[in-house]
Amino acid sequence: MRFLYLFLFERKHFVRNRAKVVSYLLFVCTCVYALQNGLDLYHKQSETISEIQQSQVEDIQKVNAWFEEGKNGPEDRSWVDIHEPYWALRYTPTYVIKSPSSLLPLGLGQSEQFGYYKEITFWSSTYDNDMVEEIANPERLGNGTLDFAFLILYLFPLLLIVLTYDIGGVEKDEQFDSLIRIQYGSWTRWIAVRMSFYVSLLLITVLLLMSGVVFSNTIGIFFPDFIGLLYLVSGYVLAFALLYFVILRLGNGSNLNAFNLIGTWIVLCILIPGAVHQYISLKIPSGYMTEFLDANRKEAYAVYSLPSEIVSEKLVSLYPSLESKIISEEEQNGQHLRKSLSALTNELNKSAVEQIELRNAKKNELLHGTYWFNPVMFAQNKWNSYTSSDYDAYLRYRLNVQQKIDQKLDFLVLDTWNERTTEQSEFQVYIQALQ
Amino acid sequence: MIISMYLNEWKSFLRNRLLRTLAILFGVTLFATTYFGLIQSSNQMDAQQKAHEHIRAQWDEMEPSNPHSAAHFGSYVFKPSTILSSLDEGINATTGTVLRLEGHTQNEMMFSETSQSLILSKFGKLKASLLFQYLIPLFLIFLSFDAYPREKRMGRLKLLVNQGVDIFSLVSAKVLCVWSIGIVLLGMTLCTQLFMSPGDMSMDHVLRLCLLMSGYAMYYFVLANITVLVSVWLQNATASMSFVMLLWIFWTVFLPKITGNLAEQMVPLPSRMEFQDAMSKDRSDGIDGHNPSDERRNKLEEATLKQYNVSTLEELPINFAGIVMQADEEYGNQVWDKHFGALYVHLQSQKEIVQYSGVLNPFGSIQSISMGAAGTDMFHHLDFLQQAEKYRRMFIKTLNDEYAFGGAKTGERGWKADTAFFQSVKDFVYQQPTMRSVLSKYYIDLIILLAWCFLSFFLLNVTAKRASVL
Repeated sequence: MRFLYLFLFERKHFVRNRAKVVSYLLFVCTCVYALQNGLDLYHKQSETISEIQQSQVEDIQKVNAWFEEGKNGPEDRSWVDIHEPYWALRYTPTYVIKSPSSLLPLGLGQSEQFGYYKEITFWSSTYDNDMVEEIANPERLGNGTLDFAFLILYLFPLLLIVLTYDIGGVEKDEQFDSLIRIQYGSWTRWIAVRMSFYVSLLLITVLLLMSGVVFSNTIGIFFPDFIGLLYLVSGYVLAFALLYFVILRLGNGSNLNAFNLIGTWIVLCILIPGAVHQYISLKIPSGYMTEFLDANRKEAYAVYSLPSEIVSEKLVSLYPSLESKIISEEEQNGQHLRKSLSALTNELNKSAVEQIELRNAKKNELLHGTYWFNPVMFAQNKWNSYTSSDYDAYLRYRLNVQQKIDQKLDFLVLDTWNERTTEQSEFQVYIQALQ
Repeated sequence: MIISMYLNEWKSFLRNRLLRTLAILFGVTLFATTYFGLIQSSNQMDAQQKAHEHIRAQWDEMEPSNPHSAAHFGSYVFKPSTILSSLDEGINATTGTVLRLEGHTQNEMMFSETSQSLILSKFGKLKASLLFQYLIPLFLIFLSFDAYPREKRMGRLKLLVNQGVDIFSLVSAKVLCVWSIGIVLLGMTLCTQLFMSPGDMSMDHVLRLCLLMSGYAMYYFVLANITVLVSVWLQNATASMSFVMLLWIFWTVFLPKITGNLAEQMVPLPSRMEFQDAMSKDRSDGIDGHNPSDERRNKLEEATLKQYNVSTLEELPINFAGIVMQADEEYGNQVWDKHFGALYVHLQSQKEIVQYSGVLNPFGSIQSISMGAAGTDMFHHLDFLQQAEKYRRMFIKTLNDEYAFGGAKTGERGWKADTAFFQSVKDFVYQQPTMRSVLSKYYIDLIILLAWCFLSFFLLNVTAKRASVL
């Protein structure tokens, strides 16, 4: 009962302390602002995706109309014949899109560092120029966006410091801590109860804001991820609260407490991640991706000038089912060979990209190995994984892109060599497979 | 009087074991971060150089080829890392490092470091700038938040005032002492940077270092003034600590992100799709919207035939295809200039908004100066892009001219230029902007910081004169 009274008394203490109330309200307003930022990005990405889908529909209608009217293609391009697989595929609008997660407003993660839509051509690769981030001010990107995740992971612990640093410290400054020990029996429980008021207040606020934004929106949510995120937030908040509790319990005055609390925040949020970042950069320096540049340029150009028998051999190794056709008809099918070259350069790109992804995976493994002493980065990346805005989410997106490239090229090579005539029904098959 | 009080402050600082230990810890950490920063920058510069040589060697070894094919083959340039990026990495990790130069198009940078892994840190690598911007200020705050209340609590203040010391002199000595501790830490970093750099510190680098250090010195002066001022004003250590801490959080964590976001909302940038669509439209329709490309080609053909006094393209002594390509390239350049030019203007407007926010937040000014002096800010980034684009235009023109006037005739698609020609094409060499041009971009931040110095010192003076001794 005494402790319940103490808990309620802390509410009065909080309400009467203008600085604490202002800090709390400021935090809540900033959270609302950050959530709005997240929603804006979500809607912006969704709008762009809708525009792409709309333009895809228009392109498909245009090609369908050619088929229906018995035309071979656009009137000003006499060389185009959409009844050939090559041209039919060229006119099949193929976009791979990474739709934003419904939880994106809760954490932008790395979503501003990657592209989220890509047009697939015969010559595409997963590291093309259009796979980079949206146009943005690089200094703002460097500073990062004020998103909800940042507020919880970095500002929340600071707010907790502002609200709790004087618990126990002032009593020690004024030397009436012994009185409290006598009155309440336990100094530890006395601090814990007082702190629990602020932790509950903040946790409830945060969870309400998160639920509010998700449920009040028309955005459908993926429930397991949302629940996972709620657990993560609760665990993170409680872990920081526990750490601060230990510091306050062992503290020797409000000033030293404040310094220790801020010091802890700096070590956990700035110094350890910064040191790990520097270590990983020294261990695996960021590359200039020359292996990919070579594959994309020098080796690709070398393929163009290969003698046809070598190109044939390479194609056979890629598409064994075409062996008899390629070998026997290579003489009269120089055009088929030329049209198939992109399948060979795709293989070059894929093997170069594999090396890049391996190097990136090594970096990530190194980071994973530091999570036991780098908890803030663990929480940050875990959060991003729930909002599908982390490196792995974009890696999956790149894999999708590669899959579509492969699919398009498979259609191109197989249908070209089998000398299929593309009619509207075949065009529909392309659309179904490549959309 | 101030000098003896200043020396006395230093003595009490040196006598305090906790503070002494903290200062040594900072010193060692600064040395280590600067040293490892230098190693990292040096590795990065080597890697950049190797990548550059690798790509150039491929160009030099090119077998006789069609110049237009060579324009498609293109080249790559790599954003160089400077030795000062060991102090402040700025935006280097977020912007790409590789730019493809080719005919018909102006590309954007690719392969940013941040896109090559999960998030490794939110405040950047452990470089000297991280300590300068976040940790040392906190240390200085810790040294000075109790400056005035302690004197009062211990009863020394009354004694000093009785002896004829005025409060302003006392607090000025405290400010100077705290500030000079910050200067010592800055000086240590400067020496480490100067003596351990791998021998490529030019005069421009030294001047940039001076700018960087002067910026931080001003910032620390502002911080020391404000912390002591607050301690005189509130006359209570706890209240003063809370106030300055809140201010620190507001300045360093909160405002930089808010101002960046606000600047982007005030001066919105186009999405990539809008940007590309607008350029494609201008490219095909003509900049003024009524000049389709085929019409332009016909006019060019007429003019060329007239110039060579022939009636058909086949009679031309040159290759008309090369002329068309260069004309198309020049037309494209106008389109790029229009759109990229507008984009760069928008980016610069955003930067100006952030710079003016220094009036509310001196941390914003020091962040800008630090990145600018280290050559890792947006201005240097845009400068690199502009120099690379200028080179691309020269590069493509050289190839198109060779195709047009190098000996081929119209219709000779298989014509090839020899290896010697490709080797004769100049290589890209990036010239970093000079210190003078950096200053011209950052005078706003310098003036704002200087104003903060004077204002905070003036307010300290006013507050000290009104402070109670009892």
